[in-house]
Amino acid sequence: MKHLAAITTLTLLLALSACTTTTVDEYRENATALALESGERVVVLGRRHYADYETEPDFIDCIGDKLKADKEISVLPEKEFVDLLYPWFEPRTAPLGLKRLSKMLNEPMIAQRFKEQGLHYMIWIDGSTETTDRGGSVSCAVGPGGGGCFGFATWEKTGTYEAIIWDLQTLKESGRVKVEARGSSYMVAIILPIPIVAQVQDQACDGIGLQLRTFFIGNRAGEAS
Amino acid sequence: MHTRNLIACALVLASLLVSACATRVEVEGNFPPALTHKLPLRTIVVFDEAFASHSFESTEGPEVSISVGQIQVELFTGLADSLFQYSSTTTEMPTNPEADLILVPSVEDVQISMPNESQLKVFEVWIKYNLQVFEATGEPVADWIMTAYGKTPTRFLKSDTDALQQASMVAMRDAGARFIPGFARVPEIQQWLRHRQTSPADAKDSASL
Repeated sequence: MKHLAAITTLTLLLALSACTTTTVDEYRENATALALESGERVVVLGRRHYADYETEPDFIDCIGDKLKADKEISVLPEKEFVDLLYPWFEPRTAPLGLKRLSKMLNEPMIAQRFKEQGLHYMIWIDGSTETTDRGGSVSCAVGPGGGGCFGFATWEKTGTYEAIIWDLQTLKESGRVKVEARGSSYMVAIILPIPIVAQVQDQACDGIGLQLRTFFIGNRAGEAS
Repeated sequence: MHTRNLIACALVLASLLVSACATRVEVEGNFPPALTHKLPLRTIVVFDEAFASHSFESTEGPEVSISVGQIQVELFTGLADSLFQYSSTTTEMPTNPEADLILVPSVEDVQISMPNESQLKVFEVWIKYNLQVFEATGEPVADWIMTAYGKTPTRFLKSDTDALQQASMVAMRDAGARFIPGFARVPEIQQWLRHRQTSPADAKDSASL
């Protein structure tokens, strides 16, 4: 029992020690915080039109959660928005630029749906987390007398995302945030495999989510976190 | 007798192992109503047996079977309800119905791509539809080839079945994204609609809708 507790503690300590580096860049149109009246909402959407990758839905949910963490910003869930506007925000039809969105909003039916939902800002997230490097190996074997694993493996993940904020009232870009998170994960196996996983996507979400909050509620977002 | 039993057991075991490797997907889900202006038309959508029970099977590499019949009937029923003033469905080509247009969708081709074949980390589904459009008299108006595409990255889902189910649903939604904005833009349909607007008898029919 004592051994089990010791192994668990060791695993937890090692897991905590897997490090991630996050770099955040931002560009603002104005130094002032973005206006968001009561009843107005923000929608966060992922880009899904590329052939080789698509922005993870759980990453979009994570950013939504970060934005509404202190309940000052109201966020319309992505799935709900895409269903309400079906089929105008599918990968084939979603506007890639403000010019196309502006044309779309000339259609009264679509503009009305935006108004009903109280949407003031649309945030597009583009990017993904990929495994960029891996090495080593772990092999496991089972025999009549028992089994076990032996070896060492490492892999590196990089999450690169860019968020672009569109103001739906002025139909202008309000700002951009770019984040790059890198982290190395390890697996040490001496009988039992012990994974030490770097939370790259979570770190990228923290970086981009907190930075986006500062666009709406100024520096209070940074202080609160 | 003993050997026979052994062979039977071995055969059962082998078939179980083979079927365990196969991926079978019965695509299920639902679609939101489309946000669109209704065209002032009365339509009948014909879902024949081949369309309503369509199933794609691939035996190249790992065995894969995807049943899309039921879900595509639900998709096209919903799309027609959203796009046309009045729409109904049937299973056989009607003769002289009280409708402006008859729509007959059929599946021309289904293709899938699995990560082990493409070396990409995505499951992909392509569906090629042929939407035949007829006047109530049976006179053909258009043959619209409509392609739909859906993909799911491998790491989003735990099994091949889940991934193919999701990629098929994305492809179905994509078919809607083709159908709703594209229907009235098909040149032959556009011409038919223009002709109808200038024809006094048809205009009278539309007004009575």
